[in-house]
Amino acid sequence: MEHIVFGIGITALTGALATVAGSAEDTESNIGSQGDPNSQVQLAPQMGFLHRIFNKAVAGEPPAYGLWCCLGAGLAWAFMAMQFNAVLAIVLGSVLAVFVQGVYATTAYVGRTASLSKFGQPVYVDILKSMTPVTMAHAFIAIFATVALCQLINGALGHPFPLPLLALIWGIALGAAGSATGNPYYGKERQYQNQKFGAGVPISASGNIVRYAEAGERNSIDNGWFTAKIGGSASGICFGLIVFLELWRTILFDKIGAGWGSIAIGVLMILIFTVVDRYIEVWARKNYGPYSEIKEASS
Amino acid sequence: MSAVAAKPATGSAMNPTAMGVGVVLLLILLGICWFVSPTVGLMALIGVIIGGVLIGFGVHFVPVGGAPAAMGQAPGIATGVAMLAAGGGLAGLFGGAWAAAAGQDPIVVVITGGVGGGLMMAITCMMVNFVYVFGMGIPAASGKVARDPITGDTQAEYKSQGTEGHGLPFVSFVGGVTGGIFAGAGGTLIYLELLNLYEGALPTLMTLKPEQVMPIAVSMAGMFAVGMFLVNAVLTAYNITGTIEGPHDPKFKRWPRAIVASAVASALCGLVAILIVLPLPFT
Amino acid sequence: MSVKVEVIEGGVPHNKIMIAGVVSTLVCLYLTYLNVLTGTEMFSFFGGLAVVAALIWGSHTIKVLCSYGIGTGVPSAGMIAFGSGVIAMLLATRFNILAPIVALILAAIIGFILGYVSNNILNMKIPAMVQALTEMAVVGALTLMGFAALMTGGFTFAGLTTGTVTVLGQVLLTQQQSFMGGCLIAVAFLLGAIAIQHPFNACLGPGWKQDRMLMLTAECGFLSMLVAAIMSFALISAGSALISLVIAIIGWGYTYCQYMILSKRDAAAWLDSKPIPEVEGH
Repeated sequence: MEHIVFGIGITALTGALATVAGSAEDTESNIGSQGDPNSQVQLAPQMGFLHRIFNKAVAGEPPAYGLWCCLGAGLAWAFMAMQFNAVLAIVLGSVLAVFVQGVYATTAYVGRTASLSKFGQPVYVDILKSMTPVTMAHAFIAIFATVALCQLINGALGHPFPLPLLALIWGIALGAAGSATGNPYYGKERQYQNQKFGAGVPISASGNIVRYAEAGERNSIDNGWFTAKIGGSASGICFGLIVFLELWRTILFDKIGAGWGSIAIGVLMILIFTVVDRYIEVWARKNYGPYSEIKEASS
Repeated sequence: MSAVAAKPATGSAMNPTAMGVGVVLLLILLGICWFVSPTVGLMALIGVIIGGVLIGFGVHFVPVGGAPAAMGQAPGIATGVAMLAAGGGLAGLFGGAWAAAAGQDPIVVVITGGVGGGLMMAITCMMVNFVYVFGMGIPAASGKVARDPITGDTQAEYKSQGTEGHGLPFVSFVGGVTGGIFAGAGGTLIYLELLNLYEGALPTLMTLKPEQVMPIAVSMAGMFAVGMFLVNAVLTAYNITGTIEGPHDPKFKRWPRAIVASAVASALCGLVAILIVLPLPFT
Repeated sequence: MSVKVEVIEGGVPHNKIMIAGVVSTLVCLYLTYLNVLTGTEMFSFFGGLAVVAALIWGSHTIKVLCSYGIGTGVPSAGMIAFGSGVIAMLLATRFNILAPIVALILAAIIGFILGYVSNNILNMKIPAMVQALTEMAVVGALTLMGFAALMTGGFTFAGLTTGTVTVLGQVLLTQQQSFMGGCLIAVAFLLGAIAIQHPFNACLGPGWKQDRMLMLTAECGFLSMLVAAIMSFALISAGSALISLVIAIIGWGYTYCQYMILSKRDAAAWLDSKPIPEVEGH
């Protein structure tokens, strides 16, 4: 019984860490403009829309976060092998991983913008100097939280995978969850704020991103503020739910039916989420209504 | 601005000669394995091939919209297909590895991995729709079909002007979950087969006790599972050329090519992974 | 809709880079064998230099492949390279002194078959696909071997799976605190996979220049060597790890500065706190 209570307590802590990691990850990737929405930031100068957005073209979020978290965990593992205190090791590992992330961010911005020189897009050194520390700070939170939750899973809950491999898995999952949830919000809502709300961006408007903000010219810190409104929290809830539910169903129900208990609970959870998703979809169709008249299904 | 050499459109054409060569290659690799290690090695290799095929097939179900989806111009999830599938499948592998360490039945382990992957994809897909509906005010609509195959909802009038659709219609959601289940199950199967093989063979190879080789066996099996996962997912990404709406998308019909491709790639990588622990004549 | 890839020309031809890459990587890997001959771990840093050489070659291969517009992103090419390379590399470590050559041959076979599968069964029909995937698998395997040599001092299976731990003053052999036991190969895998695709991805565009991309590759390689050297403090003696770390820091500092200078040369403008320039009609 005590064993289960301990397990649940650790699970709750990892769920909280995962939520923080998810929201920090999405905010960081939007401050740096990483992943699929970044294609618009790259396209804009070619259409003549020069801008002051930080163009961080470092792969997509899943492989990039897989690397930062795995690197932080590998360094933490090495420090712990040298008999460092576990918390200190994780902090040092995260700091060094964030240093690598910052270097990659700067080289990506400078490289892509220099390659767009034909269209007159300048490299803004002040953007480099002011955005990089902000994106590094958010990344530190995400990396630290992820490596810490991996250490809890490995050390306190007894998962067989070593720390770097766990961090690879959860880093890629973090990037995938945060990217899936947060990208459309940043891409459609923020970059195309001047388009009509409540509809997708028409293809004819590609490249025409918003470049002037409420005061002055838009830069990526404005985007970070915007992400914190809903995108960051949604990504945090997404990744937090993933980690928490995965651990919760295993800790509580694994002993029941020699493993079939946790499978049954997992299937039940999938069905619950399916029902919730269907409800959301039907609610949207009913409340928002169609864009045009319902046509007869013709083909 | 166009790509270097105008290559002929790939389309859904299947190349029967190449498929035949692929099947022959598969049989050759199986034969080599049978020759080197008829019982243990061959069982492991067959398991790895099945796991790889599950991954390759499952990734076809996952709805990926790519860069246009990030602007609400195309349905699907706005991430790369290989890495999104990797995220789901690896979350499944995590659960499966835990079940394997608890010594559960192999079928239970593989299904646990599948459920883990499906759960991750279910949560992600639900949150994607959540953000589209409540954060952006956009209902889900598909651009490839007139009616959703599962729910029968009409799609055309819910598609905003100038776009190919947006969000995750219900069939795409189901596709995502199915893809996660297959991918998680496949990755866990690969991991389990290699783990059993290494646990059996490493003590003799390294002249150590079984408990001592456990960290090495787990790490090697885990790393290879991740590596083969990525190879199969990228091959599927090549097959669907980057984006797919889900099982209702016409591109889905290309899956036979991917089955053969995944089988050959998994057989090849699996054979090499098995050869690592077999006594080799000249080492 | 993303940046369309243009016809990219100029610079050193790819085959020259490939041959130079193969030769220098193999030479650096074999120089780590001096560790065995001299009984120390001081020459581990050659593993890091092997990584840099292999990555320079590999990033140019990715440029050749992705110039054809493969439909998926650039990062997936790096993933398939290392996914196939890691398996070849571990089998090759069984062959002791022949390990680098075996890794090259084995990875080439795997890459060739994967290339054939992609081009013909998956109907991608890209002229450079088979050669590119072959090269990338070899680069993946040799880069991982370089990381292993940097972090453990050698590239044999026994060396990668055994480490030492000090208990009450007694030094014991253990599997847990080793390169494989701690799964540091996962870190090496991702370090290499991101480093190989980043230079082309980051320099993508009409203004692509070969010297700038290759300088960026060297910078990524030295950066990876830097963090790998820090991790190697846990596995090899402090003095040898310190040598690797110092070489990596010097190498990274130089290549980073050079990369910034080259980017300044190529950029349209290098502005500090200036507004968006006015463009006609927008």
